[in-house]
Amino acid sequence: MNGVHDMGGMHGMGPILAEKNEPVFHAPWEGRVLALRRAMAAWRKWNIDVTRHEVELVPPAEYLRLSYYERQFVAFLEMLVKSGLVTRAELESGIPAQGSAKATPTLTPEKAAVLVARGVPTRRDVLVTPRFRGGDHVRARNMHPVGHTRLPRYARGKLGVIDRDHGVFVFPDTNAHFLGEKPQHVYSVRFAARELWGQQASPRDSVFLDMWDDYLETA
Amino acid sequence: MLVVENTPQVHNLVVCTLCSCYPWPVLGLPPVWYKSAPYRSRAVIDPRGVLREFGLELPQETEVRVWDSTAELRYLVLPERPAGTEHLNEEQLAALVTRDAMVGVARVSPSQKDASA
Repeated sequence: MNGVHDMGGMHGMGPILAEKNEPVFHAPWEGRVLALRRAMAAWRKWNIDVTRHEVELVPPAEYLRLSYYERQFVAFLEMLVKSGLVTRAELESGIPAQGSAKATPTLTPEKAAVLVARGVPTRRDVLVTPRFRGGDHVRARNMHPVGHTRLPRYARGKLGVIDRDHGVFVFPDTNAHFLGEKPQHVYSVRFAARELWGQQASPRDSVFLDMWDDYLETA
Repeated sequence: MLVVENTPQVHNLVVCTLCSCYPWPVLGLPPVWYKSAPYRSRAVIDPRGVLREFGLELPQETEVRVWDSTAELRYLVLPERPAGTEHLNEEQLAALVTRDAMVGVARVSPSQKDASA
């Protein structure tokens, strides 16, 4: 979706504020949000692409106003409701509805630690023919899906060169909508800074993006 | 994880314009500025300006490579070995490396570790 999350190349966002001796969390609740999100992934009600898309669905003004962990929390609550783990009424009251089913088996801290350490790999060990090879000239598709995509706007329609093939990965555009994994090759694609930004950019510079096969066409 | 090497000719910078992808297993959780709109929006269109904001002025002849982490690959910058550190061993060199240098917004200083990282 052409959302405000896709901010590569935007102006007016202000100075970069780097904090000296920054703590890992600025408040204990931030750590709780991170832990909740990581641990609750164990129920497999969603996947990494669903979680990213849910954050993108935070309305633009809110997205920019909220802190990172606030956005993550808002998106997390939406996922809980959409996946049927809790109802909106339960969220509002803070009390489980009478007779509501409990998710089993219980997720214990020990199990959560193992699951978090293991992660959820998105690389797939399947044989898929790559459409491109290193050195091929390609164009990023000019596409504007209303759903999730990892093809940033600033690269769409632009010419690049395949730098290397990373192998086969789950396709976020379908996976984020529970439409299947559609595993395909991901390439590192090199775009000259001038192709992306015109003459204001240095002729020496470039931006590398990782792109799925479906984002590319032969140029 | 992919490691990209800084050399006298090439400077690498890592960003995630779409969210906040970052090499957690090695660097831990990212700082707030890495996840912020100012960094995410400008790192790809004006990397030299971003580096200047971090106090790093690159010569025009240096090639800048920006890595936008759009997939599940994670990027880490191998900083350039500072001049005057030929006598240091691996451990002493490692002590000079900062988080910022591994994101690509700083160089490794030959003397003291930057307090911000």
